[in-house]
Amino acid sequence: MKKVLSLVLALAMVLSFAVGFAGCGGNEDGDDFLVGAIYINGKNDTAGYTFAHHNGITKAMEQLGMDVSKQLKIVDNVPEDDAQVTNAINTLAAQGCKLIIGISFGYLTAMEAAAEKYPDIIFSHATGYLSNDTNFNNYFGRIYQARYLAGIAAGKKSLAVNNNNVGYVAAYGTEYAETCSGINAFALGVQAVNPNAKVYVSKLNAWANEIMERQLAEKLITDYGCGVIAQHCDSALPQIAAQDKNVFGCGYNSDMTSQAPKSHLTAPIWNWDVYYKLAIETAMNTPDEFMTKVGIYYGGLKEGFVDISPLTENCEEGTQAIIDAVKKMMVDGEWDVFTNVKLSIAADGTITKVEGAMTDNKGAEVISADGNTYSVYDKAGNLGPVEGGKAAQDGVIKGSMNWYVAGVEEK
Amino acid sequence: MNKNREPLIRVVKREGMKRREIVMLYFGAIILALGIGAILLLSLDAEPFEYYEKMFTMGTIGNKLAYIQFQTYVQEFVPLLITSLALSLAFKMRFWNIGGEGQFLLGSLAGATVAFMVPTSTNVFLSMFLMILAGAVVGGLIGLSTAALKVKFGTNETLFTLMINYVALYVMRFFGETKADWNIFLRPEERPKFNQIPDNTKMFTIKIGDFSLELSLILAIVLVVVLYFYLNRTKQGYEIAVVGDSINTAKYAGMKVNKVICRTMFISAALIGAAGALRVSSVHALSDSITNSVGWTGIVVAWLAKLNPIGIVIVSALITLLQCGCRFASSSFGNIDSHFADLLQGIILFVILAADFFIRFKIVFRHNSKKSSSEKEVNA
Repeated sequence: MKKVLSLVLALAMVLSFAVGFAGCGGNEDGDDFLVGAIYINGKNDTAGYTFAHHNGITKAMEQLGMDVSKQLKIVDNVPEDDAQVTNAINTLAAQGCKLIIGISFGYLTAMEAAAEKYPDIIFSHATGYLSNDTNFNNYFGRIYQARYLAGIAAGKKSLAVNNNNVGYVAAYGTEYAETCSGINAFALGVQAVNPNAKVYVSKLNAWANEIMERQLAEKLITDYGCGVIAQHCDSALPQIAAQDKNVFGCGYNSDMTSQAPKSHLTAPIWNWDVYYKLAIETAMNTPDEFMTKVGIYYGGLKEGFVDISPLTENCEEGTQAIIDAVKKMMVDGEWDVFTNVKLSIAADGTITKVEGAMTDNKGAEVISADGNTYSVYDKAGNLGPVEGGKAAQDGVIKGSMNWYVAGVEEK
Repeated sequence: MNKNREPLIRVVKREGMKRREIVMLYFGAIILALGIGAILLLSLDAEPFEYYEKMFTMGTIGNKLAYIQFQTYVQEFVPLLITSLALSLAFKMRFWNIGGEGQFLLGSLAGATVAFMVPTSTNVFLSMFLMILAGAVVGGLIGLSTAALKVKFGTNETLFTLMINYVALYVMRFFGETKADWNIFLRPEERPKFNQIPDNTKMFTIKIGDFSLELSLILAIVLVVVLYFYLNRTKQGYEIAVVGDSINTAKYAGMKVNKVICRTMFISAALIGAAGALRVSSVHALSDSITNSVGWTGIVVAWLAKLNPIGIVIVSALITLLQCGCRFASSSFGNIDSHFADLLQGIILFVILAADFFIRFKIVFRHNSKKSSSEKEVNA
């Protein structure tokens, strides 16, 4: 019996190889530029992080006149495991991909190693911080700018409903600069229109946890009396909770109006296609100049890489005009969120710039009054200046910010 | 109702099936599975022949990077082979070790601990040896403890080994997510991420042209031969077989049954732990999915191969081909995601197991079935 089984299986293998040989006629597409992508979830998803990236890549390729069904190769459902990421890269390299995109943070080390192994392939990694000089970059965006705008909409709402408590369901808090800068930017936006507002942060301690996402939102509403719920987590459940409890909310990642039509104000969103168009076009036409033309990418409102979803009817009157004006200031490079200048926006929409140091919620000075010194806490909990002065700004926002601005409380 | 009447459907052991029939049955099973897959592929607008061609060749034909595909193949084949072999040892004794996942995870954790602790000047062979040793000891002790609890207190080894899997998984996640000064496994940066092991602890490879042959493949093949002799030519191997057949017979023959169970389970789990350590050395970093599910797949492999070491080599080679091939094929089709690959693997395994069932048993219907069914209708 054993012999028979092995015989059959061997036969099947031989047969399959024969089929393989017969079917193979060197169908290399030659000039066609192949894009490879590695996804953390399924490529057939209809919502969420992977969907947003897949949508961005396909949209960009269509804009560039490429045939997505032939020129995009994907390995999906790849966990953040170096071995599996390496396997995925090898698979895509074997297909002949010349640009390989990895969308999840944990892919960084495997992609770094692969960039060395495959010098002819360009590797582009979302959310990471590793790169090299020739064929490996990372990309992320100034989502904090969009969060500031969403904060303005939330602040206007808090004034209108006469409730100074604003809630924020966050994946993490000060542990990660990404979440921390998002919370701070949102809070500063709220405070620009409502200086008395307090932002209560409730943490998931995970990047996604649907049950907790709803529970934390409910806790913020019932226990802390929050009238607007913002979020930095994957699902729309905090928005749905807000609608169920008759308060308002700001989503994230995608326009969540359809999930909570009665309560949603606006959501900070990513336009990934903006980056993917630039990256694919450069990798296709001038691969040698990828690192100079694209390099480490950190696009914002100016590039259209981040934005907010259209304001809904739930927003207060006059919100649109204020947001347009503030957005223009950021697009023009006239002002930015984490500087020594705060905006004060009056009820009639007049914007005044107020110069001064930025303090954290313990009263310590985190951005100096002249705007040239950024400080963060070290492991022992002591505040100290970051090297590089004003030039360190992006580094702090992306990598080391670990304080909450005044008016933010973690619950 | 007549209580003595035979049941409507009975499963009867089949005798004297011809070899040719068996071959045809297996062959038909594979064709059937591929046929079902083809229908699914067609429903997803994919060309089945093209898909199967890519799957069975892993895209290696006419591909200048084919050697990398083969390297990946070896990397996935070896852990599955060693784990299946190890599981078959315990299964032969009718000890249901379904804790392969946990033993593998903890073995890899032990291996990684050694990798980060040994001085970077240590020779690669010595550091690999120490890693394997650590993995084997940790895996083996877990196996021994389950066996000891079974022989001492009659605990259920199926439940015990199963639950250790989850403990091990969460231990691994704990180390992967906890930032602390003592946590040697993580990279120093902000977000927790398992670090790469030092260069001198990475798997030794032999260059054959572009292809790098991993030392682990050689070790695994040696293990196959050793286990073959151990099971068929040694006293201990014979003891395993007797205990598996009947514990009472073994006792009557004067064998120390408890000792045999503990010893065999130690070896089984130690081999799986060693495979975990080898895997770390091969892929250079820990992860909570480092097992690639070999603890589960290994059970299927062991049974499909009827616990025969040579059969296990063949079956695990084919299952690995299926896995690597599916990954390659699904990546080249826009609308086929990796879940489809899992689905197809599942269908193929399921149909082969069904064929296996029909080779060993046949279904007998009650002779006067027509009459009885009409009777039932009347009664209703």
